[in-house]
Amino acid sequence: MNSNTLTPNDLFDQSVHRIGRVTILTCIVLALGIPLMVWMAFGILPPSKPLISGIITVSSFMIPVSLAEILSFYPILGPGGVYISYTTGNITNLKVPCAAIGMEAAEVEPATKEGDIISTIAMAGSVIVCELILVLGVILLVPLSGPLENPVLKPAFEQILPALFGALGAYFILKNYKLAIIPVALGLVFSVLNVHTAVAVPVCVLLSILGARVLYKKGLVKAE
Amino acid sequence: MKNYLEIANSGYFYLWGGIILLVIMIQAILFIRLAWKEGTRIGLSSRKMLKGLRAGMVSAILPSIPIVITLITMAGVLGIPFPWIRLSVIGSAPYELLAAGIGAESMGVVKLGGEGYTGLVFANSVWIMTIGAMWSGLMVFFFLKRIKKQYKKIETKDPEWMKIISGAAFFSVVGVFMARPITAGGLPLITVASGFVLMTVCALLIAKLGVGWLKEFALPLSMIGAMICAILFAGTAA
Repeated sequence: MNSNTLTPNDLFDQSVHRIGRVTILTCIVLALGIPLMVWMAFGILPPSKPLISGIITVSSFMIPVSLAEILSFYPILGPGGVYISYTTGNITNLKVPCAAIGMEAAEVEPATKEGDIISTIAMAGSVIVCELILVLGVILLVPLSGPLENPVLKPAFEQILPALFGALGAYFILKNYKLAIIPVALGLVFSVLNVHTAVAVPVCVLLSILGARVLYKKGLVKAE
Repeated sequence: MKNYLEIANSGYFYLWGGIILLVIMIQAILFIRLAWKEGTRIGLSSRKMLKGLRAGMVSAILPSIPIVITLITMAGVLGIPFPWIRLSVIGSAPYELLAAGIGAESMGVVKLGGEGYTGLVFANSVWIMTIGAMWSGLMVFFFLKRIKKQYKKIETKDPEWMKIISGAAFFSVVGVFMARPITAGGLPLITVASGFVLMTVCALLIAKLGVGWLKEFALPLSMIGAMICAILFAGTAA
């Protein structure tokens, strides 16, 4: 047996990592270009003391939060989805819903090879749409602020996220209500205690998986 | 020194934003192409993949609007191009405002765009927002292969359990974000409840009456319905 022979599966995995790593690193470097331009082109560099203290503050919570988040989101997004999501952001409010609805529409199961492929396609599609809407937003910034500030329409725009998660919540609870009990209850507790979502999401994922483990071992939940 | 907003709105930054946008679009197209090829290889029909793509695109329209609203909010303080870039690359609205705030505070300025918010403070915000957002991308770059291997072990050992893990993680995200409007009460509660009821109705139509096409559009339709409920309720309450 030659252990160096790559299956088509391995080749696909390799391509995912190659495309993902090249593009994500390019974007990180390009993003750094902005503060560098403020410095080089306009000669503005903040004094080192507040700059360093600010960087330490933001990094001290971003490093643990990011790591916990990536571990929590991997089983939802899959490898391709993680690269797409961490290049463009807006994960909980855009990528997660679009991945779920994409898999539902194509009738494939999450956490399978088919599910992985469809969710990658759905998330990439959502990126194209979202980026185009943002460009429109930039172009139409002034005319847009009219309708978005319209007193009659304003409540609708302010309530887009509750509308999204109400609908998505129903979808998941109808799908597998036994698995939903623990995360929904935890979500309510965290919300009452006013825990920041950056902390609440990974903790809730961890506790829900532990809870699901118990239910699964007792044969009370199964994958739909 | 020039007014910082003049610098913040300079043409260079728009150009830079365009370049970043191009890279993001290339990434999306490369992933769609790669996944499509692999899907064809393992026997997924083009019809199914097209459905998945369309559902992803349609479902992205409404959730993009709050991002534009954040952009408009931030544009007044940080100019247009920088928030646009930040919200396009590894961005999320709450994080960006928080990081910009830290940038200002560490310079002793309390309010973004408020008194004393000069070019220097702006530059500090920009550095801190950018560096804070870099960490997650760098971790994905360095560690995703390893993380994947660990999850792969679980999957090989018990694929059924991996599906449950995925489900529990999905539920947690939804649970945390669904709970906020519920405990907030008032208009958010009405909207989240309307979205819930409308989605349930859609699910019944799909399951009992076999309205298959609704699957792709159930989410945006329920959301629009819930947003209309928000308008109606805000109107009667006022």
